[in-house]
Amino acid sequence: MFANLDFGVIVSSLPYLFGQGMVFTVTLTALAASMGVVLGTLLAILRLSGVPGVSHLAKGYVELMRSLPLVLVIFWFYFLVPYIGAWVVRSPTPIQVGAFASALVTFTLFEAAFFAEIMRAGIQSIPKGQTAAALALGMTRAQVMRTVVLPQAFRNMLPLLLTQTIILFQDTSLVYVLSLTDFLGAASKVAQRDGRLVEMYLFAAVVYFLICFTASSLVRRLHSRVAIIR
Amino acid sequence: MTSTPIPGPDAPTPAGREATLPDDGLQQGPLIPPRTATTGEPMIAINAVSKWYGSFQVLTDCTTTVSKGEVVVVCGPSGSGKSTLIKCVNALEPFQEGQITVDGTKVKDRATNLPKLRSRVGMVFQHFELFPHLSITDNLTLAQRKVLGRSPADAEKRGLDLLARVGLSDHAKKYPGQLSGGQQQRVAIARALAMDPVVMLFDEPTSALDPEMVGEVLDVMVELARDGMTMMVVTHEMGFARKVADRVIFMDRGEIVEDATKSDFFGQPRSPRAQHFLSKILSH
Amino acid sequence: MNYTWNWGIFFEPSPEGTGTYADMLLSGLLWTILTALASWAIAFCLGSIVGVMRTLPSKAARGFGTAYVELFRNVPLLVQMFLWYFVLPELLLPAAGAWIKQLPNAPFYTAVICLGFFTAARVAEQVRAGIEALPRGQRLAGTAMGFTVAQTYRYVLLPNAYRIILPPMTSEFLNNLKNTSVALTIGLLELTARARSMQEFSFQVFEAFTAATLLYVLINVVVIVAATFLERSLTIPGQR
Repeated sequence: MFANLDFGVIVSSLPYLFGQGMVFTVTLTALAASMGVVLGTLLAILRLSGVPGVSHLAKGYVELMRSLPLVLVIFWFYFLVPYIGAWVVRSPTPIQVGAFASALVTFTLFEAAFFAEIMRAGIQSIPKGQTAAALALGMTRAQVMRTVVLPQAFRNMLPLLLTQTIILFQDTSLVYVLSLTDFLGAASKVAQRDGRLVEMYLFAAVVYFLICFTASSLVRRLHSRVAIIR
Repeated sequence: MTSTPIPGPDAPTPAGREATLPDDGLQQGPLIPPRTATTGEPMIAINAVSKWYGSFQVLTDCTTTVSKGEVVVVCGPSGSGKSTLIKCVNALEPFQEGQITVDGTKVKDRATNLPKLRSRVGMVFQHFELFPHLSITDNLTLAQRKVLGRSPADAEKRGLDLLARVGLSDHAKKYPGQLSGGQQQRVAIARALAMDPVVMLFDEPTSALDPEMVGEVLDVMVELARDGMTMMVVTHEMGFARKVADRVIFMDRGEIVEDATKSDFFGQPRSPRAQHFLSKILSH
Repeated sequence: MNYTWNWGIFFEPSPEGTGTYADMLLSGLLWTILTALASWAIAFCLGSIVGVMRTLPSKAARGFGTAYVELFRNVPLLVQMFLWYFVLPELLLPAAGAWIKQLPNAPFYTAVICLGFFTAARVAEQVRAGIEALPRGQRLAGTAMGFTVAQTYRYVLLPNAYRIILPPMTSEFLNNLKNTSVALTIGLLELTARARSMQEFSFQVFEAFTAATLLYVLINVVVIVAATFLERSLTIPGQR
């Protein structure tokens, strides 16, 4: 049954698959993860701030994002971002933003909700005594958060943040619905062009598996080391 | 204790009740079927048992026997292997060398039906291990129905009879989380007895209890011992040992250091390690 | 901004000719729910088996369980969807492959199986965590009562483990429900796909997506409320 498979198509398309597709995937993952963590931390702080309105707004945003399918959110922002852009630059017509920018905004805002939940758990895991001790030393609330609570929360939550980033790496494949050329999109385009669906999709699966399995094994090792230190 | 006093093994038992489950009036009879065998016959024979966790040896050449009707207390410092040894008796822990025979059945033998063997060996755990999602009644009857194949009615009757004997009839419909530790442990003893075991193993049955609850559990165990149950008890309760033990085994670093009658052990322990242990245990 | 809102669009007939746009979205909602429930049934059973395997003493069983979880967790769902839909029929005997391809509702069956196997890996992790969270003595107590391994799991370990993991299982159920939208890539006409076609036909982008968003939020609320009731009905007296 493998007789009529042609794995040569993979070799000849490697530069396209990795040079374009994987670069897109990795760039999108890295940028969305770092911006998502920052925004997520902000959301977590707002949610825990206890300021009426603000904390409810943050909670509402996180809950909304977590109850929607990513595919729907991708479509939402694909159509919404031009309007937001127009509003920002006071343009009368929707402005054209690149597909990459649109995807980046989508994943940043979407993943921020998930990072926010991780950071909230991390912040709440720091004993109240730590805050009390820092306040007793005369620090302001902002100083306590920045220099005492967040560094500990980040360290405790690092494995979970990284695991979420691996999920994000896998989720970026959904830009397929916008016909963007991420790694899977590239594989899919070659597959359609050459009529080699079996070879290309199997290859894509193997590549994703190797990367994600290696990364999650490293996270596991990190986790056990962090667990020992604590 | 709210249960009626349980007569000693010498007390006359109503005729015709030995072989089968009594229909009623268990309140008056012993907790266990009166023993028919003569004493001196080994119920548990532990023969040259050694056990390792990886390269770490936890049991070294342990040999002892528990005769029918005998009450043997196993004591020793923590980490001495006493809990491990008692768990080897019903094969909850595997061992690499030696053999254990329970009522004539070899524990380490591929031909042995372990679930069947275990159903005849009652075990009471340090942390009670009642099943938290089941009512007290269901805790008492589950294994009777699923392992022994008793009808729900028979199982419930046997279970509730024993619950009455440990003085907790009012709690049949409650759940373990609603009982105190001492009450839970008494239910756990009743649960084990409901299987009509030929021998009872106790793994530090009182060491997880608040001090004021130790007595109620020991009372049940003392009555059980006086009824003639064969018992192997890992415990630090030397008062219990003095009261009902026939023999005391002292373990240290995985070895049986002392295996003596009660009077010898408390009168004149031969090993310095046992003397040291006793002086620490008894001084408080 | 020059977007023209038209909330009446839902009551206009859809170009498919069988009803209004609202009917179109509701049919998408039904397919979403149907796919989610059917795949959850697979995920729950298979995931429980795999999760239990990871806690058994047998090295082979544990190895299989671990391999399953790693395999299905480390390949993106979309890629798995393509493997089931495009690749698997080609790897079967030609007759079997052809039979699969001409099945009516092939996207539905494929989505159900794909999501079932994918979510099973996540369910397995929850089940394993639940069993491992129980005190070790529970397994010993069951064993000491004379229960076989199967009986110990059936009567002692699983009833308690499922109670512990009810909250994370609710999130997994919702994740599975949201993941049904990935099946639009293989042609399943579920809610997101229907919102997308409504947008294409009517150009009322934001009405279509707002409606889909509200429906998803509604399902989430219903599931969470149901889970709360389930949790309450399963609470054991005396337990914290």
